Amino acid sequence: MKRLFGTPLTDYLPALGLLVLTIIYLVTGYQYAPQARVFPVTVAWIAIVLIGLDVLSRTKTAAGAVVTRWLNPSAASHKADEQFPLRKQLIAVLWPLCFVALIVLIGFLYAVPIYVMASMYFRGRLNLLLCAVVSAAATLSIWLLFAQLLELELYPGVLFSEL
Amino acid sequence: MLEMWLSGFQGLLHVDVFLFVILGMAIGLIFGAIPGLGGSTAIALLMPLTYSLEPFTALALAGGVMGSVPMGGSITSILLNTPGTAPNAATCLDGHPLAQQGKAGLAIGAAGSANAIGAIIGTISVLAVLPIANDVVLLFGPPEFFLMSVFALIVVATATRGKMLRGLVTGAFGLMIAYIGYNDIAGGERFTYNIEYLWDGIHLVPALIGLFAVAQMIHLMVKGGSVAGSASAVKITKMTAGLFETFKHLGTVLRGSLIGTTVGAIPGLGGTVVAFLSYSVTAQASKNPESFGKGNVQGVIAPEAAICAHDCSALIPTLTFGIPAGAEMAVFLGLLIIHGMQPGPLMLRDHQVEIYGLIWALTASCVFASFVGLAFVRVLAKITLIDSSILVPLVLSTAFAGSYAIDMSIENVVVTGVFGVLGYLMMRYDYPRLMIVVALVLGGNIERNLHQSMLMGEGGWSIFFSRSISIFLMLSIVAVLALPLFRALFRQLKLRAVPVGSDS
Repeated sequence: MKRLFGTPLTDYLPALGLLVLTIIYLVTGYQYAPQARVFPVTVAWIAIVLIGLDVLSRTKTAAGAVVTRWLNPSAASHKADEQFPLRKQLIAVLWPLCFVALIVLIGFLYAVPIYVMASMYFRGRLNLLLCAVVSAAATLSIWLLFAQLLELELYPGVLFSEL
Repeated sequence: MLEMWLSGFQGLLHVDVFLFVILGMAIGLIFGAIPGLGGSTAIALLMPLTYSLEPFTALALAGGVMGSVPMGGSITSILLNTPGTAPNAATCLDGHPLAQQGKAGLAIGAAGSANAIGAIIGTISVLAVLPIANDVVLLFGPPEFFLMSVFALIVVATATRGKMLRGLVTGAFGLMIAYIGYNDIAGGERFTYNIEYLWDGIHLVPALIGLFAVAQMIHLMVKGGSVAGSASAVKITKMTAGLFETFKHLGTVLRGSLIGTTVGAIPGLGGTVVAFLSYSVTAQASKNPESFGKGNVQGVIAPEAAICAHDCSALIPTLTFGIPAGAEMAVFLGLLIIHGMQPGPLMLRDHQVEIYGLIWALTASCVFASFVGLAFVRVLAKITLIDSSILVPLVLSTAFAGSYAIDMSIENVVVTGVFGVLGYLMMRYDYPRLMIVVALVLGGNIERNLHQSMLMGEGGWSIFFSRSISIFLMLSIVAVLALPLFRALFRQLKLRAVPVGSDS
């Protein structure tokens, strides 16, 4: 793996990702009137300095060691789930995102049973009957609590809202 | 005044009133446990039912709800890392690691007893302060609100010990997010990129549900198995273990309760800030700060005691000025008004029995809810043994539905999803999530109050040096900032004092 200042390049990614977002924010901030931008722009500049220090603390240099010792002694470059394959992590992230997309498209009353059943059946390899019972129970509970008790109109979905 | 206290207490002893307190408690526990609902939804739902009730009974019912919501929220925070209400997010930090270690029973027991003691201390403080509340709250103006918000932000940042730099990075990032939306100072929107939903800014609760509940469920999906690992790992042989832990850490309970009471009385800061402040101060004061975030029971006790104490003291600005300390209190104001009670200084004179009855109901509900939590700890802890393939879809369905229910906005669901991924990445790359929450809560406060302070001071900073509470707060900020440096210096001096080759 390629290294920069003794640290694998991938270890810089989180800080660099934040830096890119902050720069976009800063550029947008300068388009507002002086009174409106003073606070966000100041915070963004402070963030850039802090991210710079974070990047420095990730390097295996003398300056990096000083920053780490004083400001970040117990921060790890990776922590949770490092031992699991990246593909597994990506799939785990995609499940809730697909669920959100499903809710937006077809609404809660269809998305919940489909998601619960699919998740239990394909991810958990559980018995189909159990999946059906749990997904029906989950949908019924949500409908009873939100639509009946709280009298909220559950989102019908983009596809069904015009009907 | 003592006569009014007793009248309020006696009023609660009537069977019908007492039953309404219990009903409120049950509803509060359930609504507190479901992310996105909380006390404000529960009171709003019950409001039409109170039309036919006497004002005293209606307030007792509301007190029952408000008192038990924190306990409901703490249960899901501990078991599933899913804060039922925003303040309970602080309980997740150590409560959930305890559940992962199989000590869910201990954590729930500690949360319950800390809640109860916090409520009692909060009640005593409120009863003592209420007669002079008008004068005390008036001492706080925009300069004090600004400094108090900065103080809270810095205390929490410096408490993410070992990761202070990353805490500051996420704090700055949180502030940047907080400035998204309509800017009521200069007028016009900022950073909305023509998305109408963002005019109101990023809503706190959907973001919280994402940062904690969704992120944790993604982690559980990656890890597989159950929250606690194995059945043998769940240690709940002694249901009262958590209770004893709380009494072992009475100092933490007292500190949390005092923070909850004093900071809770300041409008605008709210329960979330109180809970995180109490957590952070406890971590700062601890002899073993590295254990926080890894399952230290004091990390559960401190925020829980503060939340319940705050719920009592939040009544002060609500009742005396009609300034709600949070969403729950805003809905509660509506309840007061429909029962013919106008919040303000006169309310303290004209409706004393109702006010004291409400405070007693709130306290009783906090205490009863804690007993219910303790009684069901064994059953509740079993949730940590449910396999992720069943638990994850159920939690995510409830979390997204709860997020939508806040204001029936589908964009809330999208925000929850986005913050879920963000929260997981923060877990993955070891960035503390608590700072983003505190920054989201305080960002608007800081900007608004600084602007008002500058107007008061005619553009100069002298306003901050001309008020005694401001000066005290500035000194406190300097002290908090200097503390880590002094600690590091002290550590180095201590190391130098140890002779070379010594084992100690």
